[in-house]
Formats: sequence, C-alpha cells, structure tokens
Amino acid sequence: MAHKSPRLFASPTHPIFTHFTIALTASSLVFDGLGRICNVSSLAAAGWWTIVGAVPAAIGALASGLTSRRRLAMEEGAARTWLRAHMAIGPSFLGGLVASAIWRASLWLETAAIPWAYLVALGAVVAAMTVQGYLGGELVYRFGAEVRERYEKLPNEREPAGEPARRSRTRPA
Amino acid sequence: MTSLVSEPFLWRWIAVATAVLTVIVIGESWIGHYRSGFPLRAQYAPLVGGMALATACVALALVPRVEWVRLAVRWAGWVAVFTGVIGAGYHHYYGIVEKAGGYRWLLHHLMYGAPQLAPLALSTAGALAVLASEGVASAAVSPSASVPRLALAVVAIALAGAVAQTGILHYRGAFNTPFMYAPLALPPLAALGTGWLALAPAVGLTGVVRVLLWATFLLGFVGLGMHLRGLDRQMGGLHVFLFNLLQGPPPLAPAVYATLAGVGLLLLRAW
Repeated sequence: MAHKSPRLFASPTHPIFTHFTIALTASSLVFDGLGRICNVSSLAAAGWWTIVGAVPAAIGALASGLTSRRRLAMEEGAARTWLRAHMAIGPSFLGGLVASAIWRASLWLETAAIPWAYLVALGAVVAAMTVQGYLGGELVYRFGAEVRERYEKLPNEREPAGEPARRSRTRPA
Repeated sequence: MTSLVSEPFLWRWIAVATAVLTVIVIGESWIGHYRSGFPLRAQYAPLVGGMALATACVALALVPRVEWVRLAVRWAGWVAVFTGVIGAGYHHYYGIVEKAGGYRWLLHHLMYGAPQLAPLALSTAGALAVLASEGVASAAVSPSASVPRLALAVVAIALAGAVAQTGILHYRGAFNTPFMYAPLALPPLAALGTGWLALAPAVGLTGVVRVLLWATFLLGFVGLGMHLRGLDRQMGGLHVFLFNLLQGPPPLAPAVYATLAGVGLLLLRAW
C-alpha cells in the first residue's frame, strides 16, 4: 500500500539530494587539494563555496532518505541489512561534513591556507561518503529499492522466454 | 578570534544552538508523552514552554540588541528551567513512587518508567538561553567573566546528566552493539574537562577539552545514525513509522550530545 504523500514528495527525491551532496563534497576536496598544491586562491574559494552547498544538500538527503524509507516496504533479508548500514552511516557522514564545514569556515574567515590535516579529514569524510554511496547504489541497482515497484511494462513488452512474470522483490504482488 | 564568532556573535550562535537543543527536547518529549497518551495536561507544558523558548532564542540570534527580545528570552528561559525541574518531579513521582513496587523496583522503573533526567534537558536549554541573553547584554566572552564560565558549567552538568540517562537506557538495551558503550566513554571525559575549565579556566587544558568536545559532537551524529538503525531493526522498520518511532530508541536523543558539545566549543573560542 503506497502512502498518500504530498505531490512534491511522491517521487523519490533522495537520489537528487544525494547526487548534489556527492558532487559538491567531492568537488570541495578536489578544489581545496588543487588550491593547496597549485597555490591558487580561486580554487580555494571554490572549495569553500562547494562545501557550503554540500551541507544543506546532505541535510536534504537525510530528510528525503527518511521519507523514502517510510514509503518503502522491505522484507527482512540481505537488502534490509544493507539498508540498515546505509541508515547508520548517513547521519555519521553528515556529522563529519558539518564538522569539516565548520573547520573550513574558520579557515575562510581567517583567510588562512588550507592545512594538510583539513584535507586528510575531508578525505576521510569523502571515503565515508563513498561507502554510503556504494550502499545506496546497491540498494537501488541490485535490490531495486524504490524502483521495482514503480516498474511499468511497455504496451508491447513481452517476458523473456521461460521466465516468470516480473514481480517486485521488495513488495508482495 | 574571527569576527563571526566574537562578541556579540558568539552569544548569538549559542542562542541558535540552544534553539536547536530546545527543538530536540520538544520532539523527544512529544514522542514520549504521545506514547503515554497525554493522560496529564501538564505533559503539554514542555511543548508549549519549549516552543516559546525556541522562538525567543531565534529572535535573540536575529535581533540581539532589542531589549524586549532579551527580556522575553530571560522569561522563556526561566519558565523552561522551572518546567524542567517540575517535570523531573512528575517523572519521579509517576515513574517511580506511584508505580507498583516503588523504590523496591527502582532499577526496573529507572529503565522502563519515565526517563528521570530527560525533563532537565529543557532546564538546560532554559539556563543556556538566560545566559545567552546575559552574554549578549554584557558582551562577556572572556574566560575571566562569570557568564561564559557559568555557561560552560551548565554544559558540563548537562553532559554528565545525559551520560547518566544514556547509561540506564543502554543498559536496558543490553548494550546490544559495542557502539552503545561510546557515550559512556567520551562524553564523561568531555564533561570532566569542561567542568574543570569552568572552575579553573586554565589555558593549558583547552586543547584537550576541545578535542574531546569535537569527538562528542561527532558522536552525537553517529548516535543519530545508530538510533535510526535501531528503529529500523524493529518489525517493519520505519515503513511502520509511528509505531516503531514510539517503541524504538529515542530518535533525536543522541543529537543532544552534539548540541551541548557545539555550545561548549563555541564557548571555548573565548578561552
């Protein structure tokens, strides 16, 4: 049974927020790293503004992840285990990102050079994000979370020979 | 020290953190009181008092120079302090004294009854709001001033209280994951450090306390994730949202550590 959600939240918005988070956080690390190595101030400025954008995107990802989870009926099994790991790492990643953003803000306010320690810390945050993204990708592309139950056959589509009719893995027919 | 965290911005940021803490307290008290079905009208008090406090704190952060806003924050803060203390009395009476077995079943009631120390989180928010209002008025950011030291003492006591409440509830949860020991390891050290700095603002210890507070800040977010995971371990997970929200671990409670550590870190900017 699908929840009656407002139209804005009826579609899965979680992938939108997560992809912005991934792009902005990874870009911030790259810009700050290049800015440090090449000593180019405009790259450092780009590193600051991208992490500023990453924080609200990550908060949106967390909120939309919860609404997605609320919609998703998923039975116990491998997918659910992966989902729980995904749910545990999400806020931890957000904490790391917020802490990095506060550190970066203090550097920006003091117009100080980016220390290597900051780059290492942000690298750890990006590593956590990579694990989180991998888990999310597996949930969608392997287990079909929020995808399979939305699958609709094309009018002229046939099942492959010898295969049963397609059904959702996560939702009973 | 930079402009955005110096006087008067420091106290404005503390007002923001206090507003966040208050919203967390409102959320948790709503969940707990909704679970019991609001049998007493007094159970609405933390929601009403908390909303007034959060609104006043946001106003203080936005317009700190307006006298009546500071006055409103002081009033809302003191109301929150007393509401929390009275709430603790209610929790004690209805959660232990009136229950079958009373004090003879103390451990049972501490684990399964109303959380004894939870209402004092609202008192903490109220005290921080009053101090933020005083801080804005006096522009006191130096460790030698009484207001920052008092605020740091409030953070230390609140952290110690949070650790005690967490200890009981994680004991009830049988420490089913090793992560459940973490709030009993790091935050007590942070509470000791902040308490020490509040009593004797020695500069040498500041770096250690700052590291402990950052670790506590991160721990709050890790706890948030672990509590979400805990909610999802129940039958149906968050798909059966309201039921599991009421029966699972308190979803927002770990964020209290993050906000208290945040306030502590802001105060340490002055040290």
